[in-house]
Amino acid sequence: MAQKNCNDKIAISLRNVSKYFGDKKTIDNISFDVHCGETFVIMGCSGSGKSTLLRIMTGIIKPEEGEVIINGKDIVRCSHQELDEIRKNFGMLFQYSALLDSLTVEENVALPLKEHTKLAPDIIKIIVKMKLSLVGLRGYENYYPSQISGGMRKRVGLARAIALDPDIVFYDEPTSGLDPVVGGVIDKLIKDLSEKLLITSVVVTHDMMSVFEISDRIAMVHKGQLIAIGTPEQIKNSTNPYVQQFINGRPDGPIDFFKEDIGLKEILGL
Amino acid sequence: MISNLGKFFIDVFFHIKGVINLFFANIYWIFIGPFKGKPPKIEHIFYQMVFVGLRSILIVFFITVFTGIVLAMQTAYQLEKMGAVIYVAALVAVSLCRELSPVLTSLVVAGRVGSSIAAEIGTMKVSEQIEALETMAINPVRFLVIPRFLALFFMLPCLTILGNLAGIFGGFLVGVGSLNINPDLYLQTTFKYLKLKDIFTGLTKSFVFALIIALIGCYEGLNTRGGAEGVGRATTRAVVISFILIIFADCIITAIFYFSKM
Ligand SMILES: Nc1ncnc2c1ncn2[C@@H]1O[C@H](COP(=O)(O)OP(=O)(O)O)[C@@H](O)[C@H]1O
Ligand SMILES: [Mg+2]
Repeated sequence: MAQKNCNDKIAISLRNVSKYFGDKKTIDNISFDVHCGETFVIMGCSGSGKSTLLRIMTGIIKPEEGEVIINGKDIVRCSHQELDEIRKNFGMLFQYSALLDSLTVEENVALPLKEHTKLAPDIIKIIVKMKLSLVGLRGYENYYPSQISGGMRKRVGLARAIALDPDIVFYDEPTSGLDPVVGGVIDKLIKDLSEKLLITSVVVTHDMMSVFEISDRIAMVHKGQLIAIGTPEQIKNSTNPYVQQFINGRPDGPIDFFKEDIGLKEILGL
Repeated sequence: MISNLGKFFIDVFFHIKGVINLFFANIYWIFIGPFKGKPPKIEHIFYQMVFVGLRSILIVFFITVFTGIVLAMQTAYQLEKMGAVIYVAALVAVSLCRELSPVLTSLVVAGRVGSSIAAEIGTMKVSEQIEALETMAINPVRFLVIPRFLALFFMLPCLTILGNLAGIFGGFLVGVGSLNINPDLYLQTTFKYLKLKDIFTGLTKSFVFALIIALIGCYEGLNTRGGAEGVGRATTRAVVISFILIIFADCIITAIFYFSKM
């Protein structure tokens, strides 16, 4: 299913990207390509650097080393104007939706249209209605983000992300914190968008149900390093013990949360 | 101790640098941005003007009226001894327009508006809303800072003028009501001694204070870190730093006017 439409064109290319926060190397020499039209899933434990990786791809965070190439431009070193031009082809769904509190649902979705197009207000209204019905939220135009549930906020965030019909959509944990049904709805939306609108999707998640549901290719990140990349079949059959522990959700294995807590034994008096 | 002091100065240095950067970003988006097809949204500016200006009228009115009343009584207490009570009118008007009305109005607005700017932008920062704007290729300075900046820049001087009038009115109440000065005479004395340049120097101050309130409030908001606690800290800092800078700037500007005989 991968590379179904743009015959192997590369949408995003990361080359030897490293990012430090203070002395800590949060992203450690990561390289991969995301192909046009595919759904690329990045999975890993919390704190492994997935969100940071997304922020690097959207140009919010500048890595100290390496290149991020989108549309033939290195977004780490291009000018602010060039970056903004590239960003107009982006949509992003944030982990906590990040809707503007002071605007209604309708105004939130209309915001990118108002800012970046010269469409007449009534046309924008129609587009917003279309996008909202795509995520099943018609009739909620005049609600404020504080008046709707978390799942609805995520869907409004999704409507906003696709308002400008972007080429690439980034999703940061689209299903986390949602009940399984709404999670399934969001998964289906992601799949529909990439299949019907031929959008390239980069999805960060640790929800194993959705990983194999939606992905064309999967990358696994652990402590800032890329430890596996491949098709869902390849990942399922991977012999890497980290990958196996993660996809099966076993508490014991090479991924050990307590190793870092130096002195735990001492605190407990063992 | 020494290293703490060093850290403090480095901190202050980066703060000043950040505020200056924000100032130039403002200048860019006000004067150059519109020619690149990115004008600030007029409706946002009006919305902020209503919040900054209209909603501050009552509190500014009360504060300056009472200041005028107090000022009139205090000066009368001194002037009565010399039998020059009529000069209460002149003293109240001049000291209000040159000094008290601009400073008090700015302090009130810094407490009311500066804090809310920092809290609002700070909340947006910690809940990823600022990041969302950036990812949508919407510049946060143009979208959030410019409307607040311009609103303050236009409304604070207006509020100061209102404060001048209200303060003179307060003095008038005392002068006519309790000191038994003839109302006509009170007003005549007021306008005989109050020169246009007094009002002008007061307004110059209020433009500078508007700059301070807007820049500090927005800067603290945009640099908020760490959840609800961080928003609280940013709000407090915005108010405290604006207060200090307003008084400091007032001192400098007054000195400049004094020594250049204005
Ligand atoms: N702005 C930041 N400043 C300092 N450290 C950060 C910052 N953002 C993320 N980190 C650190 O980087 C690591 C990875 O974070 P993140 O990318 O959010 O993980 P994930 O999304 O996989 O849960 C964490 O250990 C976190 O503490
Ligand atoms: Mg995350």
